[in-house]
Amino acid sequence: MTNIFIKIILILSFGLVSLNASNTVKKEFNDTFDSIIEVVKDSTLTKEERNKKIIDTINPIFDFELMAKLSLGKTWKQLSKDTQEEFVSLYVKRMKNSYSAKIDGYADEKVIINDITQPKSTRMVFYTSLVGDNDSINIEYKYYKTKIKRDNKKVWLIYDVVIEGISILKTDRAQFSAVLKRGSIESLMQKLRG
Amino acid sequence: MKLLSMILLYCSITLNLYSAHITDFVPQSDYNEVNTHNIEENFDDEFSSEEAITIEKCPSLEDYNRFMTKHNDNLYINILTPLSNGYKNITNEPVRDSIDNFFYNLAFPIRFINNILQFEIIDASEEVAVFAVNTTVGIVGLFQPAQKYFKLKTHKEDFGQTLGVYGFDSGCHIVLPFFGPSNIRDIVGMTINTNFDALHYSHHKIEQDNLETIGIKMFEKLNGSPKSLEDYQHIKDDAVDLYPYLKDIYEQYRTQQIKE
Repeated sequence: MTNIFIKIILILSFGLVSLNASNTVKKEFNDTFDSIIEVVKDSTLTKEERNKKIIDTINPIFDFELMAKLSLGKTWKQLSKDTQEEFVSLYVKRMKNSYSAKIDGYADEKVIINDITQPKSTRMVFYTSLVGDNDSINIEYKYYKTKIKRDNKKVWLIYDVVIEGISILKTDRAQFSAVLKRGSIESLMQKLRG
Repeated sequence: MKLLSMILLYCSITLNLYSAHITDFVPQSDYNEVNTHNIEENFDDEFSSEEAITIEKCPSLEDYNRFMTKHNDNLYINILTPLSNGYKNITNEPVRDSIDNFFYNLAFPIRFINNILQFEIIDASEEVAVFAVNTTVGIVGLFQPAQKYFKLKTHKEDFGQTLGVYGFDSGCHIVLPFFGPSNIRDIVGMTINTNFDALHYSHHKIEQDNLETIGIKMFEKLNGSPKSLEDYQHIKDDAVDLYPYLKDIYEQYRTQQIKE
């Protein structure tokens, strides 16, 4: 009898702990998307101002630097410090431009969180829908637990976005590795410079 | 006494867990210290397993696929986009949407049969309900009251997906002229799809010969083109190397559809 009680209590408390971590992240996620929608709706802003504001809003919850590193796979470690730095800045710039250009068209859409899972203690996935008038798009936001602390808690950041089953990071890994196979890191950077 | 010990136990457990939470609940405590410098290593296994789909299965086709990707891109941007813009100017969006809906409704048999073949019986019956409502209340499928008011869902399944569910490998990736990225499995699937197309089996009513079928198909594509070309442009904006990029998007998307 006591055994069952202990088990129940254990399970409940575990649930509470993980719920607590995901709740903080969830609040941050919702706040971010609420402000993005406000920015998109604000018709007094010029396109440039709007894009800048969108980027400033999403910046704190994304780890673009990590995405840049991961997008290169094993090649990353073979690069010199300078090349690494330049690559990161080119990648981050491209990512931000692409994101703000895409979100710009979504004035009347809503972001709904359908589910949050924690496949590992250091990973969390937000399953969301971007709901418009006629259709809805499934978007997964993949979080990892960083070593950065804020208010005595570890910060969670997004390292990949999966749209209708298509991972942004994976497509970049695929096309970057194809460029690297046929050319060098310099040819990839050349392309990223645009 | 027993109760007291229980309460104590509960308190100690929750306190323990709470402090674990403050120090941030890391079961593998060495995780933080060991890998401080290469956090990206922890992600390697997450991607390496998926890397299989991005590998060129048929290297001999790469040159052809690259050539066809470039050719299609040229076709979409320089020929179809102006054509599509012309069509866009003479029609309005609700009309185009309705025509899209009409063709979607017409393709009901393919979705129905493939839901059955994948043993998704509930989805198949929902598909029947969607078809029945949209054909009647939605006036031959021009409108979609089933989704809008009855909150029914449609389940897009085709023969390519069914083959995938049955365990057939995707085979070589092949870029088709006009249609774009595909693979052996989907080309086989597409051939079966055509046989179940409403235009095909009801040919006494709708089309008289192949030329008319092609005409109707072309119109369907043209009608959907303002949307699909816009999507294409959006996707293309992020391309560094168009062929592997589109290939990976296509294969990831199909893999996901088969999983669902």
